[in-house]
Amino acid sequence: MLQNSPKIGHSSHVVTLDVRPQLLDALSALRDRVAAARFPLPLAGAPRARANRDELLAQLDDYLVPRLKEPEAPLLAVVGGSTGAGKSTLVNSLVGRRVSEAGVLRPTTRTPVLVCHPEDHHWFSGMRVLPDLTRVWVPHQDPGDELLLPGEDGMRVLRIETADTLPRGIALLDAPDIDSLVADNRVLAAELICAADIWVMVTTAARYADAVPWHLLRTAKEHNATLVTVLDRVPHQVVSEVSRQYGALLAKAGLGDVPRFTVPELPESAWGGGLLPASAVATLRSWLVQQAQDPGARHESMARTAYGVLDSLKSRMPELASAAAAQYAAALRLTAAVDGAYDSEHARVRGRLQAGAVLAGDALKRWRAFPLDCSAGELLDALAESLAALLLCSVTAADERVDDAWRREPAAGAPELTDRDPSLESAEHRIGMAVRRWRRELEEYAEEEVADLDRSIAPDPEVVAALVATALLGGRRARSAGEGLAERIGAHGALRLRDRAGRLLNDHLDRVVHTERERRLAPLDALEVHPEPQAELIAALSVLQKER
Amino acid sequence: MTAVTDQDHTDEMDHADHTGHADDGRDADAKDERSENSPPVEDAEETGDLEDADDHARVSADADPSGRTESKASADPTDPEESTGSWDDGLIARRVNETTAAQQAAAVENRASRAHAAYTAHAAQAAHVPAPLAYDGPLRSRLDALRELVGLSRTRLDSGTLAEAGRVLDEAAARRRLSGQHTVVAIAGATGSGKSQLFNALAGVAISETGVRRPTTAAPIACSWSDGAATLIDRLGIPGRLRRRPLQSAEMEAQLRGLVLVDLPDHDSAAVAHREQVDRVLALVDAVIWVVDPEKYADAIIHERYLRPMAGHAEVMFVVLNQIDRLPGEAADQVLDDLRRLLDEDGIALGEYGEPGATVLSLSALTGDGIPELREVLGQFVADRGAAARRISADVDAAAWRLRPVYATGRRTGLSEEARDEFAARLADSVGATAAGEAAERAWLRNANRACGTPWLRLWRWYNDRREPATGRLSIRAQADEEATARQRVEQAVRTVADRASGGLPAPWAQAVREAAVRGAQGLPEALDELAARAGLPVGRPPRPGWWPAAVLAQASMTILQVVGGLWLLGQIIGFMAPNLGVPVLLMVAGIIGGPLVEWSCRLAARGPARRYGHDAERRLREAAAGCGRARVLDPLAAELLRYREVREQYARVTGAGVGGG
Repeated sequence: MLQNSPKIGHSSHVVTLDVRPQLLDALSALRDRVAAARFPLPLAGAPRARANRDELLAQLDDYLVPRLKEPEAPLLAVVGGSTGAGKSTLVNSLVGRRVSEAGVLRPTTRTPVLVCHPEDHHWFSGMRVLPDLTRVWVPHQDPGDELLLPGEDGMRVLRIETADTLPRGIALLDAPDIDSLVADNRVLAAELICAADIWVMVTTAARYADAVPWHLLRTAKEHNATLVTVLDRVPHQVVSEVSRQYGALLAKAGLGDVPRFTVPELPESAWGGGLLPASAVATLRSWLVQQAQDPGARHESMARTAYGVLDSLKSRMPELASAAAAQYAAALRLTAAVDGAYDSEHARVRGRLQAGAVLAGDALKRWRAFPLDCSAGELLDALAESLAALLLCSVTAADERVDDAWRREPAAGAPELTDRDPSLESAEHRIGMAVRRWRRELEEYAEEEVADLDRSIAPDPEVVAALVATALLGGRRARSAGEGLAERIGAHGALRLRDRAGRLLNDHLDRVVHTERERRLAPLDALEVHPEPQAELIAALSVLQKER
Repeated sequence: MTAVTDQDHTDEMDHADHTGHADDGRDADAKDERSENSPPVEDAEETGDLEDADDHARVSADADPSGRTESKASADPTDPEESTGSWDDGLIARRVNETTAAQQAAAVENRASRAHAAYTAHAAQAAHVPAPLAYDGPLRSRLDALRELVGLSRTRLDSGTLAEAGRVLDEAAARRRLSGQHTVVAIAGATGSGKSQLFNALAGVAISETGVRRPTTAAPIACSWSDGAATLIDRLGIPGRLRRRPLQSAEMEAQLRGLVLVDLPDHDSAAVAHREQVDRVLALVDAVIWVVDPEKYADAIIHERYLRPMAGHAEVMFVVLNQIDRLPGEAADQVLDDLRRLLDEDGIALGEYGEPGATVLSLSALTGDGIPELREVLGQFVADRGAAARRISADVDAAAWRLRPVYATGRRTGLSEEARDEFAARLADSVGATAAGEAAERAWLRNANRACGTPWLRLWRWYNDRREPATGRLSIRAQADEEATARQRVEQAVRTVADRASGGLPAPWAQAVREAAVRGAQGLPEALDELAARAGLPVGRPPRPGWWPAAVLAQASMTILQVVGGLWLLGQIIGFMAPNLGVPVLLMVAGIIGGPLVEWSCRLAARGPARRYGHDAERRLREAAAGCGRARVLDPLAAELLRYREVREQYARVTGAGVGGG
């Protein structure tokens, strides 16, 4: 066992961990804000933001809040690394007993195992840290623990072992592979590592240049966590060379001051799942024991990681906030596209109404045959049908424009927005209802007008209704309808009736367009993308900064 | 395919190992396998002349005059006479080949032709001028189909979507120009898995630097077992200083002749440039040996980044578990089984029990365990000469699979009769065909009633008409037909039919269909306006049924009866005539009752012709509108759908399915 750098690289000043209740309050407020943040729109940065949010939330729940609440709790050292790096063997050797399954088939560790002193057991058996993981207790020397692995139910499990050989005040956690083929394992490993007071990174002679572990090392540096690296499974012949190379790489990455331990590859250990001789891991063990028992060292490594996480919030929270802002901006763009499409269609349909587009086709033919070959009822029917067709056409045109605009927006790919059932039939139905209601009200108006008339021969109200509808919808082409109306109920009455009917038509038109627009926006509104989260996240961060 | 150079000298070498029995069972089996890999082809347009020559040469011996290709015939192990019979033909064919048909496809040379002098001469020649690669028929037609597909789609799809297909085509063309006698095999794997060690073990000399420093190899190194591979290695972009030759040993050289081995840098180290180099070279080589070790065989990066996406390339893939010397006893088998399981989960077909697929081996490059086995498998693989074509074929598969969403949706496409009818009905609505028909019917009926009505009734009606304000009729003549067609209905009809037509199409094609519909719909309302004005009103006077004059006559005579009866009575009252009350009263009553009776029966009788007249008017308008719609919208739509179907068929040819399924 070699220890290349016995001195821990501390920051120059001595950090202390004094926690005021205000800080805890601010932190829990911040945690709630983070938990409330949602990124439902599939923007380019959304998956990353979602992952960041989950990671941050996990780190707050698993590590930072419990650590600040109870600084006296045992240190948690998480052993992480690539598959086949010998993490389980290392943990077993440190404990001196087989607590974690080791073997040649990868990935070996599928259930994380936490080892602590029996008297520390109460710290971990509760849900103080890692509240997402269900605790299982397996009596040791039981080979059947495979049965208790998290099965298809997807429940995540943490196995807790106790060992007298471990000093009080420190617990070891054997994490799954950080580059596991099983994606869930990778996520779990990252989460566990984020929950550590001391990050123990294990790599091997064959792996020390792999890209994935280096990502993790850089993350550790960014978070300023208390970090130890172990170069495992180094063949005797190349110990010095590999170790030198690795040291050079670490120094290049700015991690030269990280404690570095080397464990040689021993035939009895690697593939038999056995234990390394105590001498092989003695320096690492004594370093860990020192961290646990020397109050100064303990405090320092704890505070360093905790403050590292607190400091990292400074960059992580704005990142989340900007992702939230991007979500809101995208939602605004989508809404604007809908509004624009419906507004322009609304304007167009008004223009067409004024131009008398309704009095065309069937309705026009009826109007020409009126009154000799066509009854007032038929004319009204034709007009209503034509009006419904005009409205439906403009609504579908607006929908099409929205689709066009949304096709260019990545945010419109959200399943909630695309899975909208093509409710054209129901739009037709709704518009038909609205037009029928309009017609009924128009007929009522006509009846009222006719009843008010003090003439001996009252004109037929239906004829009056048909004429006023034609005059209203026919534009220039139906001038004679207005004349006929004036003849029948007088110029004054005709004017009044036309005004009222025109207002009625406008009301119905506005309502139809508004309803359809709301229906189109409903799924977007249901996603609840608001501007508030951005401001709230930043505000929570600044409160926290002030309390520190 | 016809006799070719590519295969023959290995065949000869193969043969040199055994004695020269023509009907050696093992040999025949091997041949059978090979011919399966390159089945007979019909479309040998490039090599037609060669085939002709060949056919002429062997027409005496060949029992099959249908011009079947020779590989088929010679691969038939049950017919030794066939193979021995074409002893001379093969020689001739080979001579023809050497001189003219340099691009012939790799197929099985008739192994009966083994004059040693000819062989040595030929081998010497072939070593200097390597014959380019040629693809067998199905692959070539698939490549052609892919090229056509890309050409047809260029206007519809963006270039990014087609980039991968274009790259495959380019690579296929580039590979084709180069030696078909060589097989380029890359050794890839994670850092520290022992790629360079394996490379050196295969070459027999320490060519590639090995060491504990990670990553060790920074640039690809090539090693060629025979001459003529320079252009191939050029293509990989490996500079001359990194090209090596293996240890000179006759036995080894014979085994691996035609092999070009490339040692790649790692793909998983922190040095990103290495990964880029690996990705670049992996796209160009014919086959890959993936080297994994017991520590790293389950790394996510190799499985997720390389093996899973390349699962279709299983036939040109070796997976080698290196460093088994680090594993005790049966652990090696366990790990190998676990590796097989992982590969299976990646979707890679494993070449066990003679099935095509990836070869999985375990070995130790350090101790040399398993190296002879690998060498033997490699030798066989290289001797087959099929790797390049299989690789391209797998590339085409992968490109086709990636293009699937833009060509196939698995749903039924096309414009149903129902949708066409609905479109015609909507257009008829927009020009008001129903209303026009009804109006025409009623007008006709009205006129008939007026014509056949009693004069007194007509008089009364005329009076009434003068009193009533004539609302509608004034406007009819006052304004010409301006925008008589309901624009909104036309727009909606076009949109609906376009939606129906594009249903089930992949997005880009659906968009094209919709655009075609919109283009067609421009000017459609105006055309319908014009058409409604022309076709709406039947020309000339409305037709009258045959009984019409009789009815008019009868009505007139009824009136005359009334008048006569009245005059008669008047004459009696005046005393001008003899009093006879009965007859004139009878006449008058007959006239008075008969007039309305005639009118009523006429009205009944006129109903039928009126309806016919109305229907006629409606039908004319309807048909004119439907015709206009068909010409302007439905036909372009159908053309667009046809283009899609054509592309779909090309796509089916690319996938090798042959027929265009849903």
